[in-house]
Amino acid sequence: MKNYVIMRLLATIPLLLGISFLCFVFINLIPSDPAEVALRIRQTPVITEELIARTRAELGLDQPFLARYFHWLWDCLHFDLGVSYTNPARTVLGEIGRCLPATLELAGLSLVYVIALSLPIGFLSAVYKDSWFDRLMRGFVFAATAMPVYWVGLLLIWIVSIRLDLLPTSGYGGLSHLILPAFTVALSYISTYIRLIRNNMLENMREDYVLYAQARGLKRRAILVRHILKNSLQSCVTAIGMSIPQLIAGTIVVENVFAWPGVGRLCIASIFNRDYPVIQAYVLLVGVLFVFFNLAFDILQYAADPRLRERKA
Amino acid sequence: MHASRRNRKPLSLRALFLVCFMAAGGALLPAWGGNAAAQDADTLRFVNYRDVRDLNPHLYAGEMYAQEMIYETLVDIGPDGYRPCLAESWEISPDGRVYTFKIRKGVTFTDGAPCDAYAVKANFDAILENRERHTWLEMMRLLERVEAPDAETFRIVMSRAYYPMLTELGVTRPFAMISPRAMKNGSTRDGVNAYIGTGPYKLTKVVTDEYAVFEANENYWGEKPKIKRVVVKVIPDNQTRILALEKGEIDLIWGKNMLDADALNKYRDSGEFGVALSSPTSTRQIVLNGQNPVLADVSVRRALQHATNREAISRGVFHGVEPPADTLYARSVPYCDIDLKPYEYDMKKAAALLDKAGWKMGEDGVRAKDGLRMELGLLYNSNSVTEKTIAEYLQHEYGKLGVRVSLRGEEEQSYRDNMKNGLFDMIFNICWGTPYDPQSSMAAMRQRVYGDYAAQLALPDKKEIDAAITEILSSTDEKRRRELFAFALSHLHEDAIYIPLTYETNKALFSSRLKGVGFTQTQYEVPFSKMYFEGR
Repeated sequence: MKNYVIMRLLATIPLLLGISFLCFVFINLIPSDPAEVALRIRQTPVITEELIARTRAELGLDQPFLARYFHWLWDCLHFDLGVSYTNPARTVLGEIGRCLPATLELAGLSLVYVIALSLPIGFLSAVYKDSWFDRLMRGFVFAATAMPVYWVGLLLIWIVSIRLDLLPTSGYGGLSHLILPAFTVALSYISTYIRLIRNNMLENMREDYVLYAQARGLKRRAILVRHILKNSLQSCVTAIGMSIPQLIAGTIVVENVFAWPGVGRLCIASIFNRDYPVIQAYVLLVGVLFVFFNLAFDILQYAADPRLRERKA
Repeated sequence: MHASRRNRKPLSLRALFLVCFMAAGGALLPAWGGNAAAQDADTLRFVNYRDVRDLNPHLYAGEMYAQEMIYETLVDIGPDGYRPCLAESWEISPDGRVYTFKIRKGVTFTDGAPCDAYAVKANFDAILENRERHTWLEMMRLLERVEAPDAETFRIVMSRAYYPMLTELGVTRPFAMISPRAMKNGSTRDGVNAYIGTGPYKLTKVVTDEYAVFEANENYWGEKPKIKRVVVKVIPDNQTRILALEKGEIDLIWGKNMLDADALNKYRDSGEFGVALSSPTSTRQIVLNGQNPVLADVSVRRALQHATNREAISRGVFHGVEPPADTLYARSVPYCDIDLKPYEYDMKKAAALLDKAGWKMGEDGVRAKDGLRMELGLLYNSNSVTEKTIAEYLQHEYGKLGVRVSLRGEEEQSYRDNMKNGLFDMIFNICWGTPYDPQSSMAAMRQRVYGDYAAQLALPDKKEIDAAITEILSSTDEKRRRELFAFALSHLHEDAIYIPLTYETNKALFSSRLKGVGFTQTQYEVPFSKMYFEGR
């Protein structure tokens, strides 16, 4: 077990290096000179060639590509992610630190929604397959997957905030501000997990161990919860491991609709503004999150599932 | 198995149904409390699509409406010319080179520092320290020195006369006055310590990307605003802003691109909300690249002008919110009230022009001349839904004329790159607007920094137009200036290089209790000072 963890941890180093390098390459492929864009964003009315040249030098963009990459990497290792091109008064680390908590709140509550809703609904849909409930939920799953997030968000604001007058429309604040955006983010995940749990359960129900358990005279409830559900959740745990970083990285549209001051908005603004240091830091952050959660959930499963350990041994 | 399961009912369906929705809905409970925040009687809740950002008045990165609230300039630009502001009066020497300002007595910054001639000089010194940054203002090249012989007198000496001087001093950036105590060792180029001005409001709180709070300046020298507090919320999405207004979370939406015409049209007759439209602030136009072999022919450019139905665009795309534009600058713009014959919508005339110039209709419905087919690209900013709609409409219209138009949408920054580098046949553009039009935007036509330069480069009269613009800027004779503007503008009109579409306006949508919502000469200034709530 210990060796497995160490091996996996070591393997993340080249992976992260690869991510950071690819990210650097791709960002530099974006057309538009970041120095010129920075001047536009700072609303310099007339941008002359000399001004662009000076800004390039200020931002260190006059150095060769590889030199810039290694320079950036070296600074990264010292936890210095540079300063924003468009607003040199702000450090990238500061910006991420300012925005990340809001996104984590959003992703956190979304995860609670996903688990609290998809688990019972998926379970019930499988147990009462083809009942009115199952059919209703299948309809819901279909609709929720098909509706664009942007539209769902606005629809929820219109119904819940305006018609029912229950919650604020947008902005950052207490829990009341968090409910709608978190639900909007969670919606497509909920439908995915309902399907996943339902199908896994139905598959497991046909397994021999269920028949054996029935033959042993176990109560139906015990078979459903302790055997079928437990076995069905395995792939869900792996999927959740991937969904958590996805939830954190996938809030861009929702943050915009609900005026939520998170990293998604920071990222999208940086892309439009060609604010390379911020984009790089964001991509690196998301990369690290994926690697970390993937690793954590693999270890978790390894620890939880005796079959996996035996196979390894 | 199915049958047995149904009979046994292992878990109560209803119970589980309830549990899962309670789990999710449990979070709803605290919501009712958080919703009932009482509203202050003197507070106006405004909205903007982004944060106020860096409000250093000597740089360009901050939101202009906020800078207009906090800072003031020596002179103000009013509907009928310049008005005194921090300068009580001024004199211009007969040769137009020396400006002597009498600084208003007793004005203090909100940190208590006096705003006298010395403070004004400190501001100019800080601005001049970063002179290269402001070279877009012609006066920066001409400014020789500034001096403050005593606390009430401030003097600017120029190397030669420059007529738009007072306009440039009147725009917020970069000539707004910040307290010298807020500067970093007398400098502002690398940031300031605080945003302290003399204006009707002071900034008291900023939460980045969430909101900013402005409180009325109790020691303001001018008329004190009735609205004592302005809270500006940040809501990036157009639709959410409108929903927030409907819900009563904000009182006012104001700006050029903060509202789309559809939304405004919906509320125009509702009575629930007030709607206000400003006079034209700037012109939405299509720039034709004179270097393109097809567009090099002036008959083609004129034919396209005649084939453009501005009325239909104004009505169909903007519901009349943006009036159709006949000329590059609206007649309400200074010096632009000249008699130019608009290119009226007339497809027959357009076709006749092309026929006459030798552009023969081909079998595939595309005109050609000497093997050159009339195929043109139209570049638009893909972030702008309006531009895309207009582009599709024009593609259809020009198609009827025998011009095949291919549309290309590019994300904002690459769209700008293409424009600047002249990589376009036809491109959407919006002129600078008040108070930069026409002098500053025309001055910029002479430099290779905007699409105008590339578009005009191949014009046979480009040199004459540029020479006229150069002379305008230094002319001290009002009559001569009018002549020169008329010359340059009528030449550009005859050259048909700009297809004016509509005049952009500032739009406001607001709670019906809010009164006094209006506009000023400066398109970025939100006149909060004139607003008040009825019955509060």
